[in-house]
Amino acid sequence: MSDKNTLISKILVLDDGAAHCENDKAFCEEHNLLGIKPQQGGMEAAMAILKSNVDLGGIMLYENYGNSVGMGLKLARKIHDSRPELPIFLRRDSVASVAGLDQRDAAMFRCAYTLNDLQVLRVTLNDSIFNRIYPNDLVRGIAEITSASLQALFSNCDIDVETPYLVKDSIIYGEVFTLIAIESNWCRGYMMLQAAEAAVLSLIGRKAGNEDKVMTFRELNNVLGEVTNMVWGSFKNRYAGQHENGASLVQSQVPIIINHQRRYISFGSEDSQLCLKYTLRERGNDSVEPVSIYQRFIFNLNWSPDEFKDNASVESLFDAGELELF
Amino acid sequence: MAQILVVDDSSTVRDEVCNFLKTNGLTVTSAIDGKDGLNKLKADSSIKLVISDVNMPNMDGLTMAEKIRSELKNTAVNIIMLTTENSPSMKERGKAAGIKGWIVKPFNGAAVVSSVKKLVA
Repeated sequence: MSDKNTLISKILVLDDGAAHCENDKAFCEEHNLLGIKPQQGGMEAAMAILKSNVDLGGIMLYENYGNSVGMGLKLARKIHDSRPELPIFLRRDSVASVAGLDQRDAAMFRCAYTLNDLQVLRVTLNDSIFNRIYPNDLVRGIAEITSASLQALFSNCDIDVETPYLVKDSIIYGEVFTLIAIESNWCRGYMMLQAAEAAVLSLIGRKAGNEDKVMTFRELNNVLGEVTNMVWGSFKNRYAGQHENGASLVQSQVPIIINHQRRYISFGSEDSQLCLKYTLRERGNDSVEPVSIYQRFIFNLNWSPDEFKDNASVESLFDAGELELF
Repeated sequence: MAQILVVDDSSTVRDEVCNFLKTNGLTVTSAIDGKDGLNKLKADSSIKLVISDVNMPNMDGLTMAEKIRSELKNTAVNIIMLTTENSPSMKERGKAAGIKGWIVKPFNGAAVVSSVKKLVA
């Protein structure tokens, strides 16, 4: 992680006015946003880049995008239809409001702003993307225990963690994902590991030292399942071990909705989710593309960070992997 | 005939632990959960050590350890848990079932091989 103390969010910038390019860049840097811009203007390019980014925090859209009056509105309808969970922030030329739009169109936008007054955009970004506090120690600890778990299962790889970021997207990455409930008296929710099947299968095959052996999805399930189990165990031991009171907790649940056709998953909560991306680079084999694994934490059932405590000293009483004789 | 029974629902862990023990000159067999482990232990009296996960389907590792003590009263088999669990209450339950040791995953074979060899001697 380049900066372990700052959460960022990826935002799609659909504003092709050359005069605003530097302003957009400065605004993104100032507000912990990683701006992504299509190289070409136009509806198709915008939808293509949207399709290829499944972990966005939101979209900044100019009402006359593509130098075409009204095109921004048409694009907003397409975006909202395919990714309704993504907040859209509309830049307008004259008025910092949705005045003049019909009620249905106006409802697509989280706010409208002008270049002369960005305060409403700042406030809305904080309210809609950066509204949930994830303690730095927790984020750092998650990266540590997950990297250690990945390293244990992929010993032939170096593990890098990118700067953690917040997503609003509800789109699934890859073809396979694991899901496990996270329970404590200060948080309740799920952890999800997502990966592309072919890339991980290939990596597992090379680790086994037999590239010719045909690996099946069962091997993939086992490895990802074990990584999930190890992360879950470490998380529980470190962050929930001394606070768990499972026997007396009233267990509440909400439906998890997965739409494979649309690659959509909903946990019932609209709060931003914590996402970390890990890159696995095979040592001594530069010809192979790095493998990406995305990790999300969705504390949709309980989130009380004020009660969060780091029990690192408990876990360090003895080293993992060593035999503790009774 | 095997010296060690490795019980884990993850084939990744089973294979890793079994391969490590074999390369250190030990004979090994494996089971996919606590129920399978209990049956294999009943069928093979040469097993001296069980290395088991805790969280498994059908029968968890601690229940298996308790059943070994209650159903195989005359066995001298040693039991070590290999698990992501690290809670004192679980360890206390394990001690009450007579288990000899606890390893928190990931498995560091080099750190435990000498102890394992002593337990099967």
